Amino acid sequence: MKLNGAQIVIEQLCAHGVTTVFGYPGGAVLPLYDELSKNTHRITHIITAHEQGAAHAADGYARTSGKTGVVFATSGPGATNLVTGIANAYLDSVPMVAITGNVAVPLLGKDSFQEVDILGITQPIIKHNFVARDVGELEYILNEAFYIANSGRRGPVLVDIPKSVQTDECEYGDLPSKKMPEHLPVPSLEQAVNAIKGCKKPYIYAGGGVLASDAQAELMELSKRLCAPVGLSMMGMTAIPHDYELNLGMCGMHGKYAATAAQSECDLMIALGVRFSDRATGNIELYRQGCSIIHIDIDLAEIGKNVSSDININGDVKDVLRKLLTLLEPIKNEKWLTRIEELKQVDKAPQSGDFSPQSIIETVSCFCDDDTVIATDVGQHQMWVMQYYPFKKPRVLLTSGGLGAMGYGLGAAIGGCLAKDRRRTVLFTSDGSLGMNLNEIATAVSLELPLVIIILNNGVLGMVRQWQGMFFGARYSQTTLNRKTNFAALADAFGAKGYWVNSISQLRSILENLPTSCPAVIDCKIDMDEKVLPMIPPGGSAKNIILRR
Amino acid sequence: MEKFTVELIVSNHYGVLNRITGLYARRGYNIDSLYVNETENPEFSRMLIVSKGDEYIQTQIVRQLSKLYDVKQVTLMATVKR
Repeated sequence: MKLNGAQIVIEQLCAHGVTTVFGYPGGAVLPLYDELSKNTHRITHIITAHEQGAAHAADGYARTSGKTGVVFATSGPGATNLVTGIANAYLDSVPMVAITGNVAVPLLGKDSFQEVDILGITQPIIKHNFVARDVGELEYILNEAFYIANSGRRGPVLVDIPKSVQTDECEYGDLPSKKMPEHLPVPSLEQAVNAIKGCKKPYIYAGGGVLASDAQAELMELSKRLCAPVGLSMMGMTAIPHDYELNLGMCGMHGKYAATAAQSECDLMIALGVRFSDRATGNIELYRQGCSIIHIDIDLAEIGKNVSSDININGDVKDVLRKLLTLLEPIKNEKWLTRIEELKQVDKAPQSGDFSPQSIIETVSCFCDDDTVIATDVGQHQMWVMQYYPFKKPRVLLTSGGLGAMGYGLGAAIGGCLAKDRRRTVLFTSDGSLGMNLNEIATAVSLELPLVIIILNNGVLGMVRQWQGMFFGARYSQTTLNRKTNFAALADAFGAKGYWVNSISQLRSILENLPTSCPAVIDCKIDMDEKVLPMIPPGGSAKNIILRR
Repeated sequence: MEKFTVELIVSNHYGVLNRITGLYARRGYNIDSLYVNETENPEFSRMLIVSKGDEYIQTQIVRQLSKLYDVKQVTLMATVKR
């Protein structure tokens, strides 16, 4: 069957189970978008307001659905606008295929109109990228792209397709889809089993790898079997229900006190699918002291990169845990459990005020169910969501972990909402973060998505201000925004419903009567001096956690 | 610091050298010498890269290089003490 390049792209997307694509058209993808218009029965294309929003939406869609997120953009500025979204997916190991157009092959390398070297630009922030200079390579390249994005540690792949390749023709349909590789064989676990048998105070540190390998049940069983408390990385937040008695919550700089303190007191840490980010560990030397570490990860390059471990296990977390569980007897240490219970009490501090971030987040959570997708932007509000939102089910949290990209949330919420059949989806954001990509409210309005956008509005860039207050002599350089934006009116202007509240009862009454087919933007005014606590100061350890103001 | 040599078999394709050297640069490892030629099979090239670093750096480089799609084989050659 003879097809042109654009038709091959559509066929390949269908062959890989893609039903939704996010993107933005332009000159260098005209043939591709023309072909898309003939295939609306097979592929739904979501047009966003900006390519960055499209990339974040594809990311949110992928995290929620477990499928590959796909994003289209034109050459030049279309491609460069994807960069933050691609970097975000790379650092958080999200499977994504980005397809960019480029100028026709004879114009490549001549600084043509809207030509950039997107392969060079994305090279350090991507699993791999391809350019298809010949239509004959396109089918193979797209097969490889989906394979790379989904094999091993997942991540983004970009395929650059010059415009002339989109219209050139060749034979299509000879290549079968590439089968996913066999999982790595589980290595010997003898050393790990011995270390676990000999320990008195085990601690589990669980991250995104648990969710990526769908090992939530195995994690829970391991924790129960060993009476081991679980501390979570931000990427692992939903791996275990919030109300499980040994779930200590998030570790690290703005994590729960108990999660960090228990880690510092344990004698054996079992690290599952984590990369020991600096935000999670604080001072590496102090973090490492006093315990042995068993590090289990699918990516060999993560083992020993940030923290040297005593026992290294390179493999899929679920496969490893399944085998490990067959080798372990139940262990119980009452003294350790009593100590954990003591540490947990420290986190049960009273709230700071009636209309505090905590009370707002808890109120919103009462109107959500276990399947409600929660997206966040980046900064103080993000940390408050990690601390106070009661997550019960896996993969309902969309947050920018490794990159910490303000402006991620709205696009991600749109993608997550679409992946969940347009179910009500909540975005917690802030005046600073929402300001970065609020043009996507227009997208959510066009799509009639029932998003609930909660702005924790303190009028400042709160996280940076907090650092300036604590470590820079309270010189609030460029963090007091002094903007006069009326978010409620702005939301109305976009065609959404806007609200302004300053009490929990007002918030409640709005949440009781939310619109069903358009986004609701609820501006919650909070105090600019609210801080995210506990906090481990940079370079610090469990010993210098700041608990209260 | 020890001098060490990494031998790579990579796809013989434009842009591959950039991906390899970019990985060294991004992590702040200097390349002392670099040698590339086509193998008997024109699909692949052989590279020899000499760099300096302790055991941690050597392990990291080998593991990071192994993740690159265009890298087919990585061998850490014997090191010379300096």
